[in-house]
Amino acid sequence: MSKVFSLALGILAAIGGFVDIGDLVFNTAAGATFGYQLMWVIPIGVVGIIVYSEMSGRVAAVSGKAVFDAVRERTGFTVGLSALLASEVVNLLTLAAEIGGVAIALQLLSGLPYRLLLVLAVAGLAVVIWTIKLDWIERLFGYGGLCLVVFAVAAVKLEPDWGKVGNGFIPHIAQNNTLLYLYFVIGLLGAAMTPYEVYFYSSGGIEDRWSAKDIGLNRANAFVGYGLGGFLSLALMIVGGAVFLRHGINPEHLGTTALGAEEPLGKIGLLLALVGILFAVGGASIDTVFSGAYNVAQFFGWEWGRYRNPSGAPRFALSWLVLFVLALAIVMTGVDPVMLTEYAVIFSAVALPLTYIPILLVANDPEYMGRFTNGRLANTLGVVYLVVIMIIATTAIPLMILTNVGQN
Amino acid sequence: MAKIHLGRNLLDHQLLDVNGRRCGNVDDLAIEGGPGETAEVTAILVGPGYWPQRSGWVGRLAGRLGGSKRIRVPWAEVKRVRSGVELRKEAPDYGLGSGDDRLRPLIEKIPGADR
Amino acid sequence: MRTLSSLIGRRVETESGIVLGRCHDLAANLTSTRLEVTALCIGRTGYLDRLGIGSRKHDEVSWSSIVRIDGGTIVVRDP
Repeated sequence: MSKVFSLALGILAAIGGFVDIGDLVFNTAAGATFGYQLMWVIPIGVVGIIVYSEMSGRVAAVSGKAVFDAVRERTGFTVGLSALLASEVVNLLTLAAEIGGVAIALQLLSGLPYRLLLVLAVAGLAVVIWTIKLDWIERLFGYGGLCLVVFAVAAVKLEPDWGKVGNGFIPHIAQNNTLLYLYFVIGLLGAAMTPYEVYFYSSGGIEDRWSAKDIGLNRANAFVGYGLGGFLSLALMIVGGAVFLRHGINPEHLGTTALGAEEPLGKIGLLLALVGILFAVGGASIDTVFSGAYNVAQFFGWEWGRYRNPSGAPRFALSWLVLFVLALAIVMTGVDPVMLTEYAVIFSAVALPLTYIPILLVANDPEYMGRFTNGRLANTLGVVYLVVIMIIATTAIPLMILTNVGQN
Repeated sequence: MAKIHLGRNLLDHQLLDVNGRRCGNVDDLAIEGGPGETAEVTAILVGPGYWPQRSGWVGRLAGRLGGSKRIRVPWAEVKRVRSGVELRKEAPDYGLGSGDDRLRPLIEKIPGADR
Repeated sequence: MRTLSSLIGRRVETESGIVLGRCHDLAANLTSTRLEVTALCIGRTGYLDRLGIGSRKHDEVSWSSIVRIDGGTIVVRDP
């Protein structure tokens, strides 16, 4: 397959895979609460995930190290293990929220009971991972997730006040409800810069045996995939502002988000939205469960690989199976998946520095990177985002408490 | 001859057997030769049994959970030091990777495990 | 037999009691047959040096100048 074709496929899959349940919840809710005032946050988040991914991808390509290899080598056993534990807890919360999201989408499509669908969702995902080659999984879920483009169509069809939308791109802090506004800023950034996606991406690069000559491919994937995916986030916020704010609806249920596409486009809009949500969140859950298994295997030095058959990496396979079971247990308790998503995004934001900092250090280390260390642009952005990430990490929990998890 | 740093270039790095199989990390290094003598690294130490001595209470807790396995890989078995530490023989020859080897028969009972 | 982990983090001081810093790494010569330890790497910042932050400059005290290792301290000959 020609490189251009496979790049195009990769980008399509990345777009469909970019939006996960955190983005669905926070972008729509942000639009429903503050209209278009938070549009400016989305490009900041998109550039952030591009910077983080590009660095991790370059580190993987040149040094052959995945994120948690680098974390352990750089920070040592104690700090590394703490970082691992924190990442696994966040991973588990995220996975539970995603499984809940899949079940909700299935429930809206099929009418079957939620708890049954939780079990079916996990069983189905496990069977898919066990039996289907990863390339086909990525295509299936990536393209299915592309149905989310219906939100972009809906956003345009709703004919929002484009002047107001444009104004939303100017960074500002709302005077009313400032704390809630700041909570959404943190949530939007945390939802955009999800670390599990970076772990998955960099581990995949090593399995694909990237080398220095793949750095260009790495960059293209990161920029275009996440960039275009960012447009979907913008669309979600516009739909939130144009549909829900007007009606005074607070989308506390994933189904409500899908209704945002029904208003301008009718039943077909609703159907595409639900299918898109199903595949995007389902695909995200596969990325999440693998990245949880990667981190553990990489830290302890076990064999790992999503392309390998399970008997090639038994402890790795057991890890993701166990993660699925634990996540299922969490969401079976009946906890609201939207609330779970908010917790997952906030805690993920708090844990972000633990893995970002080692990657930034390794990306600057000529012993690992040869002549591919961060250039001035990469380092400027890298340090700017380090500051952003530290601000997010330190303010996330206080804001969550002060706004009562956005219920304010 | 190359100058390296034991902490930065070896400690916590991946171990790879002769087939490129990942089989643990460098959990510690054994050094022989004390003050007044030349000192050399005589073995790579691998296994949860070595974690408690690594660092404080986290290491001890992890060690208690991970078990007591300790494996010494003589330094002469090191073929090359690059991104990871490459060994001359296969992992089972050193007793490494046994976690995977013991689990494999169970995993293979599930259909599709060896697709 | 001692381990690397038992040496890293120890305070290094001279026989006359001058504290040089903490040992945060060991330098060694790698040949095709042996790995010979040549020096202690001493940095005032210790862990930050391990992380690779800041200047890579640190002091090295050659292994042969070690007089004794007792308790938590490595004692070296006065320069």
